[in-house]
Amino acid sequence: MVSCHVDQNLADDQQLIRRMLAGDERAFDAFFNAYFARVYRFALPRLNGDVEAAQEVVQSTLTKAMRKMSDFRGESGLFTWICQICRHEVVDHIRARRRSRHVVLIDDQPELRMAIESVEAPEEYDLVKSYGRSEVARLVRAVLDCLPANYGDALEWKYIEGHSVEVIGQRLGIGTVAAQSLLARARIAFREALEKVFGADAAGIATSLGA
Amino acid sequence: MNDEDIERVLKSAGPRERPPAEIERALRNSLRTEWRAVVADERRSRQRRTTFALAAGVLAAAIGIWFAVPQLTGQAEVIGSMTLAAGEVRARSGRFDSWRPVAAGQVLTVGQVLETGSAGRSALTLPGGVSARLDHDTRLTLASAGEIVLDRGALYIDAGPATSAATRLDVITQSGSVRHVGTQYEVRLTGSGVRLRVREGRVEWQSNAGGIEQSAAGQQLTIGDDGSVERQATPLDDESWGWIAAVTPAIDIEGLPLADFLSWVARELGREVTYASPGAATEAAAVVLHGSIAGLTPRQALEAVVATTRVHVVLADRRILVSSQEAASQSAD
Repeated sequence: MVSCHVDQNLADDQQLIRRMLAGDERAFDAFFNAYFARVYRFALPRLNGDVEAAQEVVQSTLTKAMRKMSDFRGESGLFTWICQICRHEVVDHIRARRRSRHVVLIDDQPELRMAIESVEAPEEYDLVKSYGRSEVARLVRAVLDCLPANYGDALEWKYIEGHSVEVIGQRLGIGTVAAQSLLARARIAFREALEKVFGADAAGIATSLGA
Repeated sequence: MNDEDIERVLKSAGPRERPPAEIERALRNSLRTEWRAVVADERRSRQRRTTFALAAGVLAAAIGIWFAVPQLTGQAEVIGSMTLAAGEVRARSGRFDSWRPVAAGQVLTVGQVLETGSAGRSALTLPGGVSARLDHDTRLTLASAGEIVLDRGALYIDAGPATSAATRLDVITQSGSVRHVGTQYEVRLTGSGVRLRVREGRVEWQSNAGGIEQSAAGQQLTIGDDGSVERQATPLDDESWGWIAAVTPAIDIEGLPLADFLSWVARELGREVTYASPGAATEAAAVVLHGSIAGLTPRQALEAVVATTRVHVVLADRRILVSSQEAASQSAD
């Protein structure tokens, strides 16, 4: 239930797509707010930090995703599906422009990609020892992006920006109690996603990050 | 891994990068235009399909509907069923869905939100045979096969005998979560926190702040919104558990040995079966029941069933004391 295809999100994904195809403006805004920044962060490092290229790739990715939405069957999470489109768009962009260096990230390596996309990492695969601090930090942020959009945002607001549950609820347009419940679910999802990706406990990851 | 670990990891990793605001504005506008074109295409496509369906006749339409239904109904994972629904019980499948009444026998899927009204109660069967009962004015989300998020009201979990292989289930509240180890327990949200009562086995409470408390049968934890935890004893079979009996799904007793029936009643009432003699135990094992106890609470079913047998039962302390009628008569003399 963790990472990029979260069971509890599948029903919501399907509902969101139905509402978008029916012409609901709020559904479009919800889609854009949920996926734009995450797809941008997915594309940017794969394009060697080229902001202009990332803008073009994100636009073509989300455009294709919307055009193919009626074909989406929920066999993976919507974000996973969009990321697959984005990978193709990155390759096409580089082939067409020949100006960006194609960056193969460690999370594009098959074993890690499988872990991030919710197949458990083998126990002996010790990522923390294998990669540097900045890569581990980037992977942690990538894990946040693979959680449902509200989960990643809520965790950042709470633990990095230090906002109260009341403020988080206001930002999400929900009540305080609902925000507390959402945070509880987010912590569980994040914890399980980290364990799947890193094959180590969070304390170990924090230590490797120098906390 | 507790909340402090999560905080350390997140702070160390740092915030995720925000795309430049001007790019966000530009893409929002251009994608909105693109999306409107997609919607228009979808409508035209739907109209063409409708025209074709009319021309193709009733048979083609029927075939089309037959193929379309699975797509329209989605592919959410089925994780259980509604065993009993009394009074107002409703569900929705996501934030965009509308509420619909739920009846006994309907399947439950991941992501569904269930709600009971002021006169409603219900019972669910979840993976591993775990039974969940919802009291009045309860709302919860079936977040996954192993997670229930309780937003309000009270939930009772019967995960089977403590000796059985426990199926993992977390009940998540605004203050923390509960994980059981083969048990029966109740989680009730109060105005000022959570009340957790354990009837059998053991549960583990983990607060949002990372604190962990264990609670065993006969114990009650009162957890305040401020994180305070008060532990005290709780009776196992008084009237405060009565609401659970009102939503206990009846079992099929046709062909069931009396001894098994007595064990079921004992679990539902928070008691233990004690046989007054080896003869009484032998008789209870030999008697095979016929008929139905549909519509009866466990206590009503016990009275109705025992009246048709040669055994005598007395509810005393935390026990259901079973004796043969002959022995009971001699004892009375």
